[in-house]
Amino acid sequence: MSLDIDCRLLRGKFSLDIQLSVERGSTLAITGENGSGKTTTLDTVAGLLACTDGKISLHGKVLDDSTSGEFVQPELRRVSTVFQGGGLLPHLSVEKNILFGRNTAYKNTAKFEDLIEQFNLGGLMSRKPPTLSGGQRQRVALARAFLAPSDVLLLDEPTTSLDASSRDEVRRAMRVLSANYGGVVILVSHDDTEVAELATQVAKITVSRGDFTSAKLGGLVVK
Amino acid sequence: MKRGLSAPRGLWLVSLPAVAIVVVPVVAVVWRTDWSKFFGSISNDVSRTALGLSLRTSILATVLALVFGTPLAWLLANREFKFKSVVRALCVLPMVLPPVVGGVALLYAFGRRGLVGASLDEWFGIQLAFTQTAAVLAQFFVAAPFFILVMEAAFDQVDRRLVGAARTFGVGPWRAFVTVTLGLVRPSLMAALVLTWARALGEFGATIAFAGNTAGRTQTVPLAVYSQLESGDQDALALSMLMMIVSLGVLIALRGRWISALRRGGQ
Repeated sequence: MSLDIDCRLLRGKFSLDIQLSVERGSTLAITGENGSGKTTTLDTVAGLLACTDGKISLHGKVLDDSTSGEFVQPELRRVSTVFQGGGLLPHLSVEKNILFGRNTAYKNTAKFEDLIEQFNLGGLMSRKPPTLSGGQRQRVALARAFLAPSDVLLLDEPTTSLDASSRDEVRRAMRVLSANYGGVVILVSHDDTEVAELATQVAKITVSRGDFTSAKLGGLVVK
Repeated sequence: MKRGLSAPRGLWLVSLPAVAIVVVPVVAVVWRTDWSKFFGSISNDVSRTALGLSLRTSILATVLALVFGTPLAWLLANREFKFKSVVRALCVLPMVLPPVVGGVALLYAFGRRGLVGASLDEWFGIQLAFTQTAAVLAQFFVAAPFFILVMEAAFDQVDRRLVGAARTFGVGPWRAFVTVTLGLVRPSLMAALVLTWARALGEFGATIAFAGNTAGRTQTVPLAVYSQLESGDQDALALSMLMMIVSLGVLIALRGRWISALRRGGQ
């Protein structure tokens, strides 16, 4: 049971080759310089981008296949993402953001209440994202991602915008939740401590720049 | 003297004529309106029918702009297609065209001997020209471009990543469009609706050419003002006053966040 990616993306004068296989229950950290394609990699898994060439499958089920033309829409992929900067909807309350796409009955579940407590969101439910601090927004985004039923969890620099104290707090909550998660976790991070704490495997994107920039992501290092 | 960086002097003096040319006519109407007969004038039969008709037709034209303009504006903002610049130019054309020319064009398109109108009459017995439907179409023709332009700018400002993010949480393309895209552009949508409605309400040229000026049937408020002015009727002033009050009311309602939404062309 694993997430298998063998995919090439071409966008203008940039190419990105991804070859990865991540087992269920493990956390892969992707590192690499800015603009090397870390977020692009997550987007192909989430279904926001299609592989130009290649195939992505999750537990044997095809998500994207350039040969057969199959492409599973993002809403059907069971992939949850914590977007860089949160990706919250500014016109909806915190509560509506967390419950976005979920049945309203979710509000009364133990999972929902647990997440609100874990991420200390109790007092913020009726606020709108633009009135929150960066740390608060990130915690809302994490609660939203963990609430959605998913097989893959994508974390795009989840603690980058946080100050030191909320970073520790968020990391602690993330560690507990991802340990019990049971699916595939992919973490994009610049922070060595975070990678060391959360990841079971690390892969680095290598870039060769020229007229044509090509980036490669593969060759897992198992910690 | 105010302390601080100085600005060019005398700009306010040069800008006075611009203000005056708007203010003086407004004051003139207020001054000449016979306030003791104001309510009588705007509530007599001709005025009341014209007001009712104007409200009905302008609201319908605005609803049509909303229903058909929203998808078009979204496509213009988000999709590349052949002849896109031509489509956009055609959408804006009614804004630069003299409205009466638009009315003539509508007449030759949907009139009884028109390009489409002839078939409509022959096959379905539908005659559009000189009906209230014609008044609605004329208003739509002139006002819809305002809606489309404002909404295209608003859709253009929507963060596409947010729409994508919404999809990953289990929401299909249509629900994402309604809850995220439309939710984000709501202030602009409100501004666009009010602006479009105000333009439809004031429509004159296209209406008189395509719908005619029959009191009680196709005579909207601007047409009634024109007819009453022709016959030297004092009611023209009262109706003009009423239109001014409505327009000013619209602008005041638009002030603040809706106007700034227009200026930023988005959220």
